[in-house]
Amino acid sequence: MAYLELKHVRKVFGETVAVEDFTLDIQQGEFVSFLGSSGCGKTTTLRMIAGFELPTSGTITLNGRDVTFTPPNRRNVGMVFQSYALFPNMTVAQNVGYGLRVAGKPKAEIDQRVREMLALIQMEKFAARYPSQLSGGQQQRVALARALAIRPQVLLLDEPLSALDAKIRVELRQEIRRIQQELRITAIYVTHDQEEALSLSDRVVVMSQGRIEQVGTPTEIYNNPASEFVARFIGHINLLPVHLVSVSADHLSVRFGSCMLRVVQPEFSPNGAAPMLAIRPETIRLGTGSDQDNRLVGRVESVTYLGAVIRLQVHVEGHSLSVDVLNERTLSLPRQGEDCPLHFSPRACWLMPSANT
Amino acid sequence: MKELRAARLYLFGAPIWDWLGLLPFLAFVLLFLVIPSANLFAGAFVNRTGVFTLENIVVFGNPFVLRSYLVSLQVSLVTALVGGVFGFLVAYAITLGRAPGWMRGVIMTFSGLAANFGGVPLAFAFIATLGRTGFLTALLKGICFPAGESEVCPFNPYDYGFNLYSVTGLVMTYTYFQFPLMVLIITPALEGLRTEWREACESLGGSQLHYWRDVAFPVMMPSLLGAMLLLFSNAFGAYATAQALTGGSIPLVTILIGQQIRGDVLNNPHEGYALALGMVVVMALTVWGYAVLQRRTTEWLRR
Amino acid sequence: MAQVTLPTQRRRSWRFWAIFWGVAAMLYFFVPLYGTLDFSLRMKRGEISLLAYEIVFADPRFWEGFRYSAIMALVTIVVSALIFVPTVYWMHLKLPQARPVVELVTILPFIIPGVVYVFGLIRTYSRPPLQLTLQPFTTDILIVAGYVVLSMPYMFRAVDVGMRSIDVRTLTEAAQSLGASRLQLLVQVILPNIRVAVLGGGLICFATVMGELVLASFLVRPALGPYMQLLGLAKAYEPAALAIISFALTWLSLGALQLLGRGNVPQQMAGR
Repeated sequence: MAYLELKHVRKVFGETVAVEDFTLDIQQGEFVSFLGSSGCGKTTTLRMIAGFELPTSGTITLNGRDVTFTPPNRRNVGMVFQSYALFPNMTVAQNVGYGLRVAGKPKAEIDQRVREMLALIQMEKFAARYPSQLSGGQQQRVALARALAIRPQVLLLDEPLSALDAKIRVELRQEIRRIQQELRITAIYVTHDQEEALSLSDRVVVMSQGRIEQVGTPTEIYNNPASEFVARFIGHINLLPVHLVSVSADHLSVRFGSCMLRVVQPEFSPNGAAPMLAIRPETIRLGTGSDQDNRLVGRVESVTYLGAVIRLQVHVEGHSLSVDVLNERTLSLPRQGEDCPLHFSPRACWLMPSANT
Repeated sequence: MKELRAARLYLFGAPIWDWLGLLPFLAFVLLFLVIPSANLFAGAFVNRTGVFTLENIVVFGNPFVLRSYLVSLQVSLVTALVGGVFGFLVAYAITLGRAPGWMRGVIMTFSGLAANFGGVPLAFAFIATLGRTGFLTALLKGICFPAGESEVCPFNPYDYGFNLYSVTGLVMTYTYFQFPLMVLIITPALEGLRTEWREACESLGGSQLHYWRDVAFPVMMPSLLGAMLLLFSNAFGAYATAQALTGGSIPLVTILIGQQIRGDVLNNPHEGYALALGMVVVMALTVWGYAVLQRRTTEWLRR
Repeated sequence: MAQVTLPTQRRRSWRFWAIFWGVAAMLYFFVPLYGTLDFSLRMKRGEISLLAYEIVFADPRFWEGFRYSAIMALVTIVVSALIFVPTVYWMHLKLPQARPVVELVTILPFIIPGVVYVFGLIRTYSRPPLQLTLQPFTTDILIVAGYVVLSMPYMFRAVDVGMRSIDVRTLTEAAQSLGASRLQLLVQVILPNIRVAVLGGGLICFATVMGELVLASFLVRPALGPYMQLLGLAKAYEPAALAIISFALTWLSLGALQLLGRGNVPQQMAGR
């Protein structure tokens, strides 16, 4: 039996269905992200786990106990909010110790635990400050410590970094992961930022319109998106309309415009629909490559310098293809309007059913 | 030109010249606020021949004066408390209590009006409603039951010692502007309470009681204290409503001062000044108390 | 999405209490108003009539009081604006450090009870060296000064808020670079931009002065407040009609204020 189980959870607000048939098992110590754009139901699901919303139907089991209708203050879950939600009238230490104070713990124990927690987030010096005297990043660290101080069964984080500056965001994200690993606490992290989800999580739950699109490790999500939605949502991808020509033992042959391309995809089962060929921009390379590779020729439409990566838009067979090239100092790039050969490995691409069929 | 006046004497970091810009305002204030107040102040500490004395303080030994202070303080405290609690409940109802939206609109609009509706007309309105022949009195009187040969009219308030022209009536009348004032001040404070605070408190194991005791009330403390101060001073300084309602039969300090202005009822103008000064002292003490409480409860705001 | 969902029963009882207190508040608002309206219409025995209103409107002293108070109110507004617009402008532009002083001074009328202030004012200016109470005109000067002081908290706040909403410094520099004098700057640039704020302050001044009793009564001027009080001592139905008229007046001036787009109606305190 899993540590945290959601079974067929459904939530309806008036006429709108916010979450539909959400079923998920989470293991103890696992870090799971709910990823999706706003309104996809990820926050609602988290709030049902916290107890702030009650499911319309379905059950939530935590550590063997049915908590579906347990009030939030009896669930023993730690919650970290996007807006920090520190109590402005309490010092950092009082905020962190508040959950223990409510539980009626002796003062010595509270002080001890607060010290531990502040050490964990490296903010011992700020114990006597008030939230208004802290930066956003510091406030969110305190909020994290406050949620952890009660030794929650599960830590819930609702877009905790989206109100922060880009740089702090990356720093704090690593810190959250470090602390989670150190305490081996089960954590659920809601975000719309795929980079956050991919870099932090053991597993990612991609959601759209109240439903789960895919559950998997970051690698699975990125390299084997289960649907066109996930493919388009995660990272950047080229999706090309192709016709399946033949299926042989070790590869598939497809036609893209006037080119024939090979795809190595043992698990593919044709279902008759016109498939799409998916290729990540970073797996396409400049140059002619070897005989093993798929080869294309196109005209360069634009060259965009992104820093570590340079993105080319190349016009091939009536379609615009994104190609990412790692920036090297000696790199010689084709110019806009020039023709340029491209190649990619048959193992780098895969076929997926088109969404509109 | 600017260089010419470069003598550049500074006062609190601004050239003396710039301070002259406040001169018209300060002159007006000096003439019509400071001098009259100072005059009163000075008058309280001299005798009829203009010699400094503390003997005007005997006015507070006068049982009428003492009683008027007690009644004024009582009325102010009670109406501030009644209006404050009632106003708070109403403000809570239309914000977090989720009363229907139209109700909120009506109450907010009328609070703006009622908080400004005072003085003589308000007294008239209450006389017309709850006076001996008032609308509501007549309505309640009319509910009668036959009891044997006679009738019993169990709801005539005047049979049960109610009297609009009493302290109770005054409290009811003052409440008409006191509680809307509270609604106007506290509604924004209640709206300023963030849902996440409640949720954070709950997820940490706190109950409703914990939330209100440890977070909501402390956070609203500045507004609450300010509101109570305003309500108190509002009632303490009120004159016209009481005068029009009771014709001066309730001995409030303000009524007594009014009588003193009109006809020197104390037979000594300087004791009258002391009487008035007493009110300023009460207000000053109240503001001081407010400031102390404010400082103690809002440490987190000032850093 | 952002609301805490409580178990349904608890939520229902909450809503019950919310509606209970909301209804209680509305009853407190409306019953006296309705009672007064009802009372004011019952001057003729056994029928509903506007007789009380007719009597009030036919009384020349009512119109005299109304006229006098309205004129005093307008003069008060003009004088207030003349004092506060330049002062607050100057404070914003050159003397931000003067703010605590100005704020303290303008809040004093909140702290000094109205009767006490009027007492001091009358005692100071009803004797030499500056005896203003000898003639009606000089008495009116004193009354206007008193009204300006009593409405100072609102006027200052209104102008201050208005001034805060515009960029005084940039506007000043722009106007000066185009060659405007200080006076032109104030009248042609600053004032039009804080017009709404000044008007809002003015309307509260108006409401304050129209209902004011103490000052006019002790200085024995024919204002609306003393007239109402005298009527209240002698009559029964006319005061109710007057209360309704006065409420309508408050409604009109504050309604105009809300039309100006300033949602918050500040509180008036003088005149009680």
